[in-house]
Amino acid sequence: MKSKLYFLSTVLAIFLINLVKDSIDPYYYTILIYIGINIILASSLNLINGFTGQFSLGHAGFMAIGGYLSISMSTYFAPFFANLFGAGVFGENMTFLTVMILGGLAAAAIGLLVGVPSLRLKGDYLAIVTLGFSEIIRVLIQGMDFIGASQGFRGVYQYSNGVKSLQMLDNTQDSFIFYGVPKYTNFFWTFFIAAFIVYFIYNLINSTYGKGFLAVKDDEVAAESMGINTTKFKVIAFVSGAFFAGVAGALYGHFNLYLNPEDFNFLKSVEIVAIVILGGMGSIPGVIIAAVILTILPELLRGISEYRMIVYALLLIIMMLTRPQGIFGTKFKFKRKKKVESA
Amino acid sequence: MSLLKINNVTMKFGGLTSIDALNAEVNDNELVGLIGPNGAGKTTVFNVITSVYKPTLGEVLFQDKSLKNYKTNQIAHLGICRTFQNIRLFKSLSVKDNVRVSFGVRLKAGFFSSVMQLNKFSKEEKEIDNRIDELLELFNLHDVKDEEAISLPYGDQRKVEIVRALATDPKLLLLDEPAAGMNPSEKSDLMKLIRDVKDKFRISILLIEHDMKVVMGICERIYVLEYGKKIAEGLPSEIQNNEKVIEAYLGDTKTHA
Repeated sequence: MKSKLYFLSTVLAIFLINLVKDSIDPYYYTILIYIGINIILASSLNLINGFTGQFSLGHAGFMAIGGYLSISMSTYFAPFFANLFGAGVFGENMTFLTVMILGGLAAAAIGLLVGVPSLRLKGDYLAIVTLGFSEIIRVLIQGMDFIGASQGFRGVYQYSNGVKSLQMLDNTQDSFIFYGVPKYTNFFWTFFIAAFIVYFIYNLINSTYGKGFLAVKDDEVAAESMGINTTKFKVIAFVSGAFFAGVAGALYGHFNLYLNPEDFNFLKSVEIVAIVILGGMGSIPGVIIAAVILTILPELLRGISEYRMIVYALLLIIMMLTRPQGIFGTKFKFKRKKKVESA
Repeated sequence: MSLLKINNVTMKFGGLTSIDALNAEVNDNELVGLIGPNGAGKTTVFNVITSVYKPTLGEVLFQDKSLKNYKTNQIAHLGICRTFQNIRLFKSLSVKDNVRVSFGVRLKAGFFSSVMQLNKFSKEEKEIDNRIDELLELFNLHDVKDEEAISLPYGDQRKVEIVRALATDPKLLLLDEPAAGMNPSEKSDLMKLIRDVKDKFRISILLIEHDMKVVMGICERIYVLEYGKKIAEGLPSEIQNNEKVIEAYLGDTKTHA
């Protein structure tokens, strides 16, 4: 009950901040949005890697599916959505919500397809399979002309004779409208979803049902003997993680207004894994803080841009050596430490 | 009435016969012991019953139902739960949460009502909390319920394993060397506890144990295995005087004399 109250007041605060978003400097605004998106990505990966103990390296792939599906829907079917929901602020947000959910569902469906066979694998093997999957997605997108292939996708020209093209055609006399990717992503949506996923995972992990995920991580044989269908729990974690990655992709696409397959390469997956590891596998607040730090850090280091990656890598190495359990460690140990201090 | 029936079960790993044509049964509300020297195949019997291994030949019947097509996690739903010889507690969870995991078996709340915290979910969680407290109270673990389970002393960890298995509400409890690593006074407490559990929850227990004092003290019937073969069965007093059993444990008296 208490967590519901926290969630609702956070949403209210996000809504209020959203009202003054235009007065935020665009540079800082961009960083803010990226922080939100990274919180979503890292938290959803945390459910798979941190809480359920399955090492997935394919999050960028799910993000790509959600991102590409949602931006192609909101451009190709822009007139359809405008008819359906109307053109005003309400219509825009409804359209966004719809394509976001569709993007998430598509990622979740693919997650199910990939997860059922590959979650039989453990550790490194699962990491390799998911990595391979995410590369397959990227290469497939590079071959899909209707979403821009390796050129990237920024919108579509719709001619009055029904022809749709990514480039402007010079041999036609018909009039056309260019549907660019609409800028739907704003502070509210990004942080509403970030708050929602935190609420979602917090509730799940603290429920009797959700303890099953942790049981699967700790000891599959014992979990299985206590009546937990370990395969089912792994698949649920994987699919819901994929769903939120897809939603994050939709947010990213509708903010950047341009997607390129290279945005979703191997390094993107590694970046998300780095946030989870830095924050602490299975620590909700740790991952949020790590998402903030690792989004801001590259910006702070712009001054020494040649050495940026060195500092970044050094930080990760130092972190591994000094606090292998993450910034906070797991929640359980955190709580215990507090008790000792007060005693 | 027999609750569990092991029907001519043979378990082979390649050329090694771990269990050889074993017949055994456990009746309702009965405490049965399973003993034998190291490597006799006792734990394998547990693994066959819980479907970790599929028997090469024969079948296991539980309440006259063949367990052939059940997976390990479904066995727990049917009402058979076990503890492990080498303790397998969930190491990132507290004592309380270790027990809580087992309530998943009868949980009505699913994924969505857990995430959305619907009213019926909160009510169920509260009931589960109370049940956990009751169980931990019974085993004298109430004071350490928020400790990390693996930080407890060895004997207490064994007890948490038993509580965790009991929490699935089994009809048959399989205890794999529950007294291992306990000192004599802990052992006698445990014996009393096992008997109490059997009477209070009206369940059957199949017990593997090396400590003869424990086995002879509480078991109503005993099966003895050696090299996968059943060499004796009967009342504790009969087993104590059985020549074959003495030979299995102490060696052949004639050749060594």
